[in-house]
This record gives sequence, structure tokens and C-alpha cells, in this order.
Amino acid sequence: MTANQGKSTVLVYGTNMSGYRTIYALGKLGYKTILLNRGKYVDEVKNQVLSQLPLDLCWACAFGPQRMFVGLGALNVFYSADILEIKGTPGNYKVKIKKKDPYVNNFICTECNKCVEVCPEGAIEVMPKVFWENIYLINEEKCTKCGKCEEICPTGALKLDKKEEELEVEVAGIVLSPEYVDVDKGDLEKFGYKVFKNVLKNSDIVRGNIPTSFVLNSLKRRSDGKLPQKIAIIVTPQYNNIEYEDFNTTNIAVYRAVRIKELHPSADVTIFMRNYRGFGKGAYKIYERAKEIGVKIIKADDVYLNELENNDLEITYKLAGKQNKENYEFVILVTGQKAPIEEVKKFEKLCKIKGDNHGFCYIEPFTNNKTNIPGIYAGGEFTGPRGNPETVWEGYDIAQDILDFLGKPVVSPPQPPPFRDVSKEEVKIGVFLCSCFGKFNDKIDIERLKDEASKIPYVTHVEILNGACTPQTIQENAKKIRESGVNRVILAVCTPLQKLMKFRKTVMMGGLNPLLAEFLRLREDVVNVHEDKEKKLEKALSLIRAAALKLKYALPFPGASDKFHGKAFVIGGGVAGMEAAIRLAKRGVQVTLIEKSDSLGGIAYRLDSDIEGRDLKKFIESQIKEIKRNENIKVYLNSEVDSIKGYAGNFKIIFSENKKITHIEDAGVIFIATGAKIREVSSYFYGKNPNIYTQLDMEKAINEGKFSAKSVVMIQCVGSRNKAYPYCSRICCSQALKNALRLREKGVEVTILYRDLKLYGFKEDYYKEAVNKGVNFIRFYDDNYPKAGQTENGFKITVKEYGTDEEKAINCDALVLSVGIRPDIETNKKLSQMTGIKLFENGFFAISPGPFEEAAKKLMKPFELQTNGVFPIGMALSPRTVDESLLTARQAVGQSLIFLKKQRLPAPNGVFVSEVDESKCVGCGYCVEVCPYNARSIDEVKKKAVVHPFLCDSCGACVVACPSGAAFIRDLQDKQVIASIDALLG
Amino acid sequence: MTWEPKIVYIMCSWCGSGGAESASAYGLKYPENIKPFRVWCTGGLDPAYILRAFLEGADGILISGCHPGDCHYDTGNYFARRRLAALKTILKTFGFDEDRVWLRWVGHSEGKRLVDTAIEFNEHIKKLGPNKI
Ligand code: FES
Repeated sequence: MTANQGKSTVLVYGTNMSGYRTIYALGKLGYKTILLNRGKYVDEVKNQVLSQLPLDLCWACAFGPQRMFVGLGALNVFYSADILEIKGTPGNYKVKIKKKDPYVNNFICTECNKCVEVCPEGAIEVMPKVFWENIYLINEEKCTKCGKCEEICPTGALKLDKKEEELEVEVAGIVLSPEYVDVDKGDLEKFGYKVFKNVLKNSDIVRGNIPTSFVLNSLKRRSDGKLPQKIAIIVTPQYNNIEYEDFNTTNIAVYRAVRIKELHPSADVTIFMRNYRGFGKGAYKIYERAKEIGVKIIKADDVYLNELENNDLEITYKLAGKQNKENYEFVILVTGQKAPIEEVKKFEKLCKIKGDNHGFCYIEPFTNNKTNIPGIYAGGEFTGPRGNPETVWEGYDIAQDILDFLGKPVVSPPQPPPFRDVSKEEVKIGVFLCSCFGKFNDKIDIERLKDEASKIPYVTHVEILNGACTPQTIQENAKKIRESGVNRVILAVCTPLQKLMKFRKTVMMGGLNPLLAEFLRLREDVVNVHEDKEKKLEKALSLIRAAALKLKYALPFPGASDKFHGKAFVIGGGVAGMEAAIRLAKRGVQVTLIEKSDSLGGIAYRLDSDIEGRDLKKFIESQIKEIKRNENIKVYLNSEVDSIKGYAGNFKIIFSENKKITHIEDAGVIFIATGAKIREVSSYFYGKNPNIYTQLDMEKAINEGKFSAKSVVMIQCVGSRNKAYPYCSRICCSQALKNALRLREKGVEVTILYRDLKLYGFKEDYYKEAVNKGVNFIRFYDDNYPKAGQTENGFKITVKEYGTDEEKAINCDALVLSVGIRPDIETNKKLSQMTGIKLFENGFFAISPGPFEEAAKKLMKPFELQTNGVFPIGMALSPRTVDESLLTARQAVGQSLIFLKKQRLPAPNGVFVSEVDESKCVGCGYCVEVCPYNARSIDEVKKKAVVHPFLCDSCGACVVACPSGAAFIRDLQDKQVIASIDALLG
Repeated sequence: MTWEPKIVYIMCSWCGSGGAESASAYGLKYPENIKPFRVWCTGGLDPAYILRAFLEGADGILISGCHPGDCHYDTGNYFARRRLAALKTILKTFGFDEDRVWLRWVGHSEGKRLVDTAIEFNEHIKKLGPNKI
């Protein structure tokens, strides 16, 4: 199948984050998507984020792109939908689907509530669960179809004649992204969930908190309303076979404990978990903080719950074989997910995809999303336990892969109509008051507001609008603006956060530049939030006065844009770097890849196979072959970067080959894939005794037939998770288990001494296998590492066992240390200075402020340029497995493809951009320092600041920093702010 | 008529304004004398505006931005926090009650928190009485 033959639409089934992100990325690339939501409304079926609620916030911003793309015509959402039949071939699938449109079209509904008021049966319910947007639903059992609601609905959003329909759609590919299968009463029987009164899920607590952030009220005992002192948190998947945990599950428990201690310092908080499994740079710090502030962590082998008479909970837990008991007043369960067995079965029938042996969707080796059927992709929690950031990244990966089958892009953002030149006119402000289809009439005296508003200086026209957000009213209002002859517009409406595009469109269709308009939140700031009609009127007037003064000084936007170079530069030739280069080249991007050493392959090339027994070497060899073959890729070995100048879209990189030849390359984006190194070891006589190995040494010795030990002790976390290296390296536990299993096959005695086994998800199987095959596991305390003594023919290892405190001694012939990895600190430091991307103290690139925010933040806005065209990937970012490294590379490619082909880019939010008044600028560079986006630099010749428009996001940091008042934001100039605030106080 | 403080509530465009929208969606109420003013980010808020507002007779200034770590522009709210601390010391040296300006983080979904903050601040300013400048 060659490109351009396939359809230009993709079908996404299910609303997990990977599906949403696929829609987002495809929409940006100009393709259409159809989203099938099994629920009646947007979040009825909850994805991982909404089920788990890892933070005390709701994440509803995840749905932002959805609204926008519906508005642009790139996305069609069907509710109560399902797939009935799949026929055809990749590029040309014919899919029969069923759907039932919601009675209330949320896109037109103005939330006037009239339907609720008129319904005699009380059949209309409002779902406020998707925070700022209320969703109106009709309860079919109660509804008699009397039709009163339909009659009264002012916008025609409510229609009762909705039936289930079947239709056939033609699509290029299918994305399966069904949601999280949450656990409930039956699954959590062991913990007495919904049986014992004071046992709650963490998500229950968060859900109660959403409108307020975390408050102590949500911790009150359900039995008697008292605030508990003694609280237990249990990580249930570690004690419950049907649940799967993702890498964040233990982090969520630790985070909750810390939050409780912060608000309720006297509380006694204990976490029960078998292993702490947070990895990576930030997570371990929170864990340490928890311990510092007195959170107890008990690594119990098993737990049982019992309810006492006073509704306290008695927890019986096993620790190194011994039973212990302790009573708690309140128990919080941090739960996992079940395998999506039903959904997998359904698609096995529909399209012959395979399930894996856990009941999740099968994914081809070394891919992150490919099912066994070409053209059908799967992502997120459907394919296995996933962290939220990974899920989002998978969306980018899918969007990119599916391009193989997609035809031509068909969606392009509409061009605004020509604007009237108002520069010569006097200021004439039109105030347009939305009545929300009459709903505001009884809440505020809108006629009087109209009269009073017309007395405000510069206001030449005031008009009451019927509505402002339905297609019809938008047309009407644009006409009104045009006919009124005004050159500035105040639209007093509802929520710009939700409806900004509509309001802007109204103004633009009215022939005015959108910066000549103010969108005043009449509903949000006045009508809905106050009681007193008289005072509401006053407040509305002062808001209008402030807006009028702001508009007096308004400047239309100049439509700034800048060029974007279509080439990419990759630093580092390990798996991640090579993957990025290959993916980019495949989409026609010219790539330059440089590697410091004399060969490609990086650290992973030194491992032979991974724990799953897949042939890693072969995979890397195929990558190397492709790199050498592909004409779009230029490779330089023995090369290092000397300098990077410029900014996103316009980089100039100077690098030297063999320390002799200097090259200069232009690039639009830079990928940093500097990888990691095996950490140097200085403890345990390493290097002084030939029978002491690192895991990697031992693998080599075994392969060369030089390993003859009959008994082996492995010590985990050597030099890891301490002050100097406060993170888990992510790969050593799997590596140790893999080697232990291999040694057991040869009959070697193996003992693994460990702190935590970080084998979340499916890797837990290998632990079970190891126990069955006779590998001996002993846990030691975080701050009490095993001691090794050399004996005549080997070593004597002594260790204090966790839980029992028994001193145990083990004799062995060989000692194997799991030493973990460290980033290439020297190179990273240099690159960090050149690119402005910060490093964590431990040398990894810091593109995320925390373990959770990584995904949450980035969902809110077009964020491909968040890192200014520089993408740290693979282990330059944090410790990762090979598959995870590949995913970071693929997602970064997905992001960069969105603009690599564009040649020119406008300012990201389309309208606003900070600017420089050159007559005032002295070129001091303060603004350059504070800009979070590298969007400013100093012109070397003119010695004045310049703004790179598409990097600027108009935050205003430069405005405050500028000592000479030269920096300004076009819609928030000094005089505008001052005049408006004065008006508000007036 | 009883005296009502003049309060400007400065909000960032993302979490702060989002909080106000959530409050409206939940139908929560707060006093009318609190008037919102939107900036893009608390990090783009020049302390000079606050000083000037006090000179112009504001009784209190309330500022809400995204929670630490959540700023739409990454670090704006940290800048705001530092600047405000500095501003407060300046206000204090002038003998002005530095507690007339509050900075409170409000998340996009935290309508209740926004309203609670507004009510609490209003009560607080009422206790302090009118700004005497
Ligand atoms: S955007 Fe909200 S504080 Fe920066």
C-alpha cells in the first residue's frame, strides 16, 4: 500500500488518553477522526486518569482538544456507540457501527436549565462531573416524552427524537483505546470495600475533593464523622491477584500519605505495600520525603482486614513469615486495574486481533502500539498497565504509524476573513449583552444595564443579544457588529475558556481584528455567582467600564510568524536516537545523526536479550542497517557538538568529527539521545576480585563460557537510590531476574538480596517463576546494605533481614552487583547550557516538573514547542527500559512532525505575542533570561531584544522583568491594565 | 449603606479564571464587591500595578494563579510568589498593612476554593477597615 490511496479518516474506539492524543495529533496533521464513545456522555466510561485520579485534580482539560477539533470539523464524536463489524483492508476499512445521539447536543446547549425546570417528571439530570461544563441527560425510565423540554429549549439543543442508528464508515485505520477496567466491591472483597464502613478507595476520596483541592473533610470516617488519627493506606494490587498495578500505583499511595501528613501532621499514616515501585528521577524523592515526615512504610508479604465493633479496622499482616496485628481507624485503598478481557474478546471476534496471556491486547515486540493486524492499533490501558504520560505518548506513536495507511490530509484551519482597517477611525465601542436566550432576564435587569452602559465613555452602541454561541446566533451577531459600525466590541457573554473560538469567530466575521474585542464573562463573573440584582448591575457596569478603557488602547495584531526549518538533528546513536532518526526519515525529513563513540547501538547493544527473551541484538542490528541504508539520514561517528545557536525552527549546530573536521548544520529540531552509562562501582571489592561481577560482566562471562560459579549472590541497588543517585535505574531488577533464571537452569544456587523489586505489571510473572524455580529472595533495610567478606574459596555475605531483623549468612563463589546506570552527565551539562533545557541535579534532562504533571500539563495547549524544539529522549530523560526508550523517541517524532513540514509557523495561540518597543529597549537581556520559552534573544547587531513569535506564549514574564518598559504584550499593555484596574476601583 | 471594601481579584487566565468558571458552573456565590481582573499569568503581574491600585484606593487585592508546578507557562507562579513576598516587605516598610494583598493558588476545577477564598478575604478586609491612603 502506498500513501495517498487510503482514506483520510481514522476510527478511534474508546476514550483512553492514547485515543484522545491520537485524535489530537491527527487533527493537527490535517486528518479526520471519528470517536466512538460507549458512554452517553463524555466521561461516563472512565479512562485511567478519571478512574484513578492520581492527583487531587480532575484532569478534565484532557477533553479540551476534543471540543476544538469538533469545532474545526476534524472530529466527529458518537455516543452510546459501538463497533458491529469490521471489513476491508488497511487503508480502506469498512466499519459498521451503531450509535445513539444524546438528547441534548452539548455543543449548542447553553446550560440555561429551563428543561430541568419544566420537566414534570424530574427526568432531566445534570452531570457536573466534567467540571466546568454541565451535561444535561434525560433519564429514560422517568421520561414520558411529553415534549415540554423540547418546546422550551431556546437553542434547539434538546431533541427527543433520538434513536439508535446503524451506519457504515470508511476509514484508513482503527485505533482501539478502550478504558480502564476499574475494580469494585466484588474484586476488593479481601479488603472489605463497600462492606466495612471506613474503607475507601483513594479515588473516592479524590472525587469528593475535586471542587476544593484536598481537604480533611474527605478523610472523615464514614461511620461516625470523626477525623481519624490512625490511617492505613494499602496498595491493593500487590495483594490481590486480579488487579494490575502500573508504575504510578505505589507513587499514588506515597503521594496520598504525604498530602495527609501535610494537612494533618499529627496523623499516624502507614502504607502497606510489598514493593515500592516508583522509578525515575522525581518519584524516589517523594518517597524519601514521606519517610522524613514520618510516614511508616511496611513492606508486608500479605494483608487481611477485619472490622471491629467500633468500626475500626484490624489489619493482620505477614512480614517475613510472621503474623502481626494492628488496628487503624481509617483505611484507604490504592487500587489497580483489571484486564480488559471482555473488550479483547470482542475484538478477537471482530477483527482477529490477539490477546496476550494476561487478557490485555497483544502488542508486537519492539512496538508500542501495533496489534497483530495491520492498520489496527491499540494503546493505553487496553494494552497493559500504563502510566499516564506513557499513555499520552502512545497516542503520538499511533498517529504517526497510522500515516502509513492514510491518504491526503483534508482538514485545514479556516482562514479569517479580511479585517476592516480601523486605524484612522475614532474609538467607537459596541457593547453586546448576551441574554442567554432570555435566561439572564430574570437574574439581572438587562434593559437597565443596556441603558446605563450606553452612558459609558466611548460606547456608541449597546444591544441585547439573544444568544452568542449557536451557529445561528454567531451569524446574526457578526452581522449586528458589522451594521452597528463600531470598531471595538465588548461581548458580554459566558465562558471564553470554553467558547473562545466562537466569540473570536463572531468578531472576525464582523470584520474586526479579534484583538479589538473584549470577552466579558457576564455569566461567570456576575449573573451566576451573585444574588443581589442591584449589586449585580453595578458590578456588570464596572466590568464594562474597565473593558471599555482597555479597548480604548487596543492594538490589532500584526499576524506575526517565522520560518521553520524542516531538518532534524539527532545527538546520540543508541536505540532511542536511531529510532528517532529512522522514524523522521521515513516521513521524508532530512536527518543528521551524530554519535560520540565509534559505533552505533549504545548501551542496549551490550545486553543480549531482555527478560521477555526477545532478541534485542537482532532488533538493534536491524536499526543500524536501516540507518546506514536510508538516504535521508547522514551519520557522523566520533563526533561531538561544539555549539548550538539559534532557536526552535532555526538552529545552527556546529560539530566536529574525529576532533578535526568541523561541520555546520541547520535544523528545525534537535533530539538529545545521549543515553546512559553503566555506573562505576567502588564498593564490595569490585575490580579487586575476579569473582565479583556486575550483571553485565557476568552476562559476558556466561556467553564466553567463562562463568563456572556454583553459587551466586546478587545484591540489588548497589550505589542506587541513595543521596548521590536518588533514583531507581529501572532495568537492574529485570536483568537480575533474567540472569537468575538462566543460572537456575544450569543448577546454580542463586540468592537475590534486594530492597524493592520493581517489577510492576506483567514482569511480576518472572518473580513468581523465580520463586518457583528456587531462587532465594531476602529483603534488606534501605539503610543497611549486606556486608561481604572474602573467604578462601569465595565470599561470605551477611545480611540483616527486613521484618525479622535476623542476621543471615550466605556463602557463595561469585558475587554479582546490580549497579544501575547514570546519565552522561558531562555531555548533558554541555548540551543543557547550549539549549537552555534544564537538568536535574542528577544529570537527567528536566522537561517535567514532577512525576504526574508530565502528562497533565501538556494536555492543555498546543505543547509541541513546550521544549523549544529540543527533545530529550530515551535515557537522557530518565532511566528506562528499551521499549520505554523507544516510546519516548517515537512520541517526540510525533510531536515534531506536526510542524516540521510547515516551513512557516504563526504565534501558537494565533493572536497574542509579546513585543519590543525598540525605542525603549537597551538590550540588557533581562527578558531573555526570564522567558520560559527561549522566545527572546538579543539581536547582536542592533543590540535590541527580538521576539520569536511562535515560541512566545504571551505569559508576560518579560514585561515585568523589563527595566525600561520596552517589553509589552499587545492585549495587556501597561496603560490598559492601569486604566482597567482604576475603572474597577472607581 | 454599610461600607463595602473595594477588592480586585486578579486571576491568571488558566487556573484562576478556570476556578471562577467552575464556581459559576456549580452556582456558588461570593460577594459582589469583588471584581475580577484577568492577566495571562500571575508571573506577568507587575507589582507596580498592585501598589498603584492601593494608591487608587483599593482596600484589598486578591491574586490567584495555578498551583505550584501547574502554571500554564511552567514557572510564572513561582516568580509571582517571590515578587509578592518582596512587595509585602516594601509595603511593610511603608507602614502599610501587607496583609491587604493575598496570593492563593486555585486550580481550574476548584470553584469552591475560589469562592471560599473570596469570602474569607472579604471578611478579612472588612475587619481591617478601609484603606487609609
Ligand atoms: S498561568 Fe496560572 S499562574 Fe501562570
